[in-house]
Formats: sequence, C-alpha cells, structure tokens
Amino acid sequence: MSPLGRVDSNTSGDFERALMTREGEALLVIDLSGIDYISSAGLRVFLMLAKKMKGSGRRLVLCALAPSVEQVFTLAGFTALFTVKPSIDEALGRVSS
Amino acid sequence: MPSELHCFQASSAGIIDAVQAFDAFGRGHGLAREIISATQIALDEILSNTVKSNPASAARGSEEQTTISVSFAVTTGVLEVVIRDKGRPFDPLARPDPDTKAPLEDRPVGGLGIYLVKNLMDGVEYQRVDGENMLRMTKRIDH
Repeated sequence: MSPLGRVDSNTSGDFERALMTREGEALLVIDLSGIDYISSAGLRVFLMLAKKMKGSGRRLVLCALAPSVEQVFTLAGFTALFTVKPSIDEALGRVSS
Repeated sequence: MPSELHCFQASSAGIIDAVQAFDAFGRGHGLAREIISATQIALDEILSNTVKSNPASAARGSEEQTTISVSFAVTTGVLEVVIRDKGRPFDPLARPDPDTKAPLEDRPVGGLGIYLVKNLMDGVEYQRVDGENMLRMTKRIDH
C-alpha cells in the first residue's frame, strides 16, 4: 500500500483503520514515499502493526522513507525494529528472493 | 524581530490549524523544509499532549481555558515557538525518556512524543507562569 500525506495526531486513526484491512496479509509492503512526516501518533500505529504481524509470523517491509520520516524512525530506534528498504523495487526484490 | 501570535482551540481541529499556520510562517520566512517538518511534528506532539491533559477543561471550561496561544518568532539564526495554555499545571518534559533500544516485544506502545520533541528541537523548556503552562522550543536555523 502507498499512503499519502502526513501521519500525525489528526490522521493516525484513519491510517490505522486502513492498515487493519490489510493486516491479515502474509506480507505487507508499505511504500512511504508519499508521507511528508510522521509524528508519535503515527509511530504508535506502526509499532502496533509490527507487534501484531510478528506475533503471527507475518512480514512487514517499509520502503522509500522521506528524510523527515527517516529521521523520526531513527530517533525512535525504529530502524532496528522494522525491515526498511530504500525503494519499492528493493522491497519487492527482497521479497521474491 | 519577525513574530506572529495565534490562538487555537484545544481540539484536534485546533492542532491542524496550528500546524498549517506554522507551515505558512516557515515558508514565509524561507525556513528549510526539514526545519519546518521537524517543528510541525514538535507542535503536533506538544499540542496533542496539552489537549489530552485537559479533558475536563476542554469539555466544560470557559473559552479562555480551551484556547492555546502559540507564538512563532525568528531572530538571528534561531526559530522560537512558545506555547501557552491555562489548563492545570502540567510539565510534559518531566516524563522519563523511553528506551529506544528495547526489542519489539518490550516496546510499550506510546510515550515517544516528548522524546521526539526533545531531539527534533535544539532547546525545550517548561515553566508555570502566571497561571499558565508555558513551553518554549528553539531551533537553530542558520544554513
């Protein structure tokens, strides 16, 4: 999936609902190139998703983080918790290998 | 010193207004995209905390109690954002920092907002002044 805009205190509820429709997938690749910035409300949604998917043996790959999103992921220590790829191609390439 | 003072409702709509107002201020003063984004995240975090910490006043208080004032100012090489509200005394900086090295299983959901603010901005300080919570954030903007 390829969300657009900001994931902040205002939009994180919608984002969470959109993710819930996909969280049953064995593999979920999220292209974040359209996300301008993410606040802690957005980090919270990603963390809950990662816990759920890992708990049931499914895989989550994030790719193409904008600089401000990558900065927040790094500050929060999330780069160690998620599989993060520079581009959608690399995310999908890794998946098929 | 170029500065602007705005008042916003202590609500999710008010937070959107504040973040958009800062975007306009930042662009108007030629601030770098990354400075604007970092400050918008910090504003979102602080205002979300303020709204959450005063549910009673938000529901029943006077207009004065449900308003948050935010000033933006640019001086030589420094951006300053000051947020004031008349809610109950609340120091958001008092909370201990989360463990950002913990594995996924041990990560509590939440608690990262103020930690992000402390790291995205160069200075953050809280004071209770004249019955108001006052949070002052600064960021260097020299290119």
